Amino acid sequence: MAKIVSVHSFRGGTGKSNTTANLATLIARAGKRVGVIDTDIHSPGIHVVFGLREEAMEFTLNDFLWGRCRIEQAAHDVTPPAGPGEGPSEAPGAVLLIPSSARAGEIARVLSEGYDVGLLTDGFRALIRELGLDYLFIDTHPGVNEETLLSIALSDTLLLIMRPDSQDFQGTAVTVELARRLEVDDLRVLVNKVPPGMDVELLRGQVEAGFKAPVIGMLPLDHDIARLGSAGVFAARYPGHPLTQGLRQVASRLLS
Amino acid sequence: MAEESNRGDLDALMSKMKSAAAPFRATLQELHRKYATVADGRVATYIPELATADPAGFGISVVTADGLRFDVGDAERLFSIQSVSKPFVFGLALEDHGRERVLAKVGVEPTGEAFNAIVLDEATNRPFNPMVNAGAIATTDLIRGEDHADRFKRLLAMLGRYVGREVFVDSATFLSERATGHRNRAIAHLMLNFGMIEDRVDETLELYFQQCSALVDCRDLAVMGATLANGGVNPLTGERAIEARYVKDVLSIMLSCGIYDFAGEWAFRIGIPAKSGVGGGIVAVIPGVAGIGVYSPPLDERGNSVRGVLVCKELSERFGLHILEAGHAGPALLDEIRPGRRGG
Repeated sequence: MAKIVSVHSFRGGTGKSNTTANLATLIARAGKRVGVIDTDIHSPGIHVVFGLREEAMEFTLNDFLWGRCRIEQAAHDVTPPAGPGEGPSEAPGAVLLIPSSARAGEIARVLSEGYDVGLLTDGFRALIRELGLDYLFIDTHPGVNEETLLSIALSDTLLLIMRPDSQDFQGTAVTVELARRLEVDDLRVLVNKVPPGMDVELLRGQVEAGFKAPVIGMLPLDHDIARLGSAGVFAARYPGHPLTQGLRQVASRLLS
Repeated sequence: MAEESNRGDLDALMSKMKSAAAPFRATLQELHRKYATVADGRVATYIPELATADPAGFGISVVTADGLRFDVGDAERLFSIQSVSKPFVFGLALEDHGRERVLAKVGVEPTGEAFNAIVLDEATNRPFNPMVNAGAIATTDLIRGEDHADRFKRLLAMLGRYVGREVFVDSATFLSERATGHRNRAIAHLMLNFGMIEDRVDETLELYFQQCSALVDCRDLAVMGATLANGGVNPLTGERAIEARYVKDVLSIMLSCGIYDFAGEWAFRIGIPAKSGVGGGIVAVIPGVAGIGVYSPPLDERGNSVRGVLVCKELSERFGLHILEAGHAGPALLDEIRPGRRGG
């Protein structure tokens, strides 16, 4: 039975897409078949982290929504090659990305015409079935829109990513309320970009008490991933890095 | 007040998302695919306007008693409500006059005769039930109002409460019904002869033709069914469409007489209150759970939508909906609408 993990932030800039790409990669390294779907139709981006160029996309999620292809035809194998110091990865793990189109015309069409949001449900289920997935990660649009709410409603696990920032606190509270109303059972918070010198245990307590949800991890604000600038999957590039260790812990908690 | 209406918007959005995420969506799509290829049945032709319906048109809608909605296919295609209006007008007559006065004018016995049979109960002169044309004209006669316009407005307002929007009558269908409704005129005059209806026969007949020509789509039928399933309160608007005490009267009649002369077998095999119309619509009610609306114009020889009957039959069998076995046969419908989220 495949698990659907929706990854959401109320505000942009939390590192949502990078974290999703890294967690998906680490779970694939553990031998799982992991789908990643970019439902951030209005501002797609995770394909950049995986190094998938616009020209290399034959079909995208948009093509599926307009009935131009089956959803699995929009899947691209983006499994990052093993990095230095990593052994050959255990087959048959893979990361399969379903990108959204970054073409201005395609984005405009979604805005002007809209689409039946339920099609995404059909698409997710078909993906899991046709690609034999163990996990499906949904990279959602920040804030609240229909794709995001649907992804939350469909998810087995909702992973909320926030920075230790008052605006993020307030926004995350909105998502938590909506997720509770959508009857999500498994809701976890990942606190990202924690600046050095912050009392992490105090912060953890505040988050868990504020949202009545467990904290799955607290990752530091890191210069090396900032320097990479979304030009690759950090965990694949730097498997021994302390940030990768932290990400690996989060991945193993998602796996268990 | 603003807070309250925001709350309503949020509830509607949450409901939309829950239904978009439910596996039941896939079930309806599967049924639609399966039965779209059925080519049996013929579009009704006894009224010229009905003959223009597209035989390929096919929509299925389900609305739950707590307001989740599911649609597949031509769920927004408008068609004339025809006989599906009858149980709802019966409900209005009950509200206007009370049970005993209504039952003095129309019975509650299945006939086994065709829907347009010219036959009255020999002992009482009553039409057998409000689902055959004679009984329906008698119940339309019972709609209160100062004049024709007032009665017409009350009729449309009643339908509007069930569907949750303003309802309109299709003029072409109405004119077509009126020009060719000789049999219904004969039935009305026979009843006038026995004193079963009042002497404003022409007005009542016009009202009856207007009632049959009201435009709905199968989403509307599902909401109407859901309103009855929900004790008379429209689950999408929260508005009461019929007094709670008359809901079971309407549903009993639908179960025993709703599907014309197939009603007995329907009750036996499918076992949920339902009403069909020659426009191709069927409304079915799963009490406490949901309303079903199906639209598909080709009819069987008894005047029931062929695909509509098949869809209701499969839903009933698959989910154990027969009201005499509900809750202990097959997988529960609610499990598929809200998988694993029902606590406990």
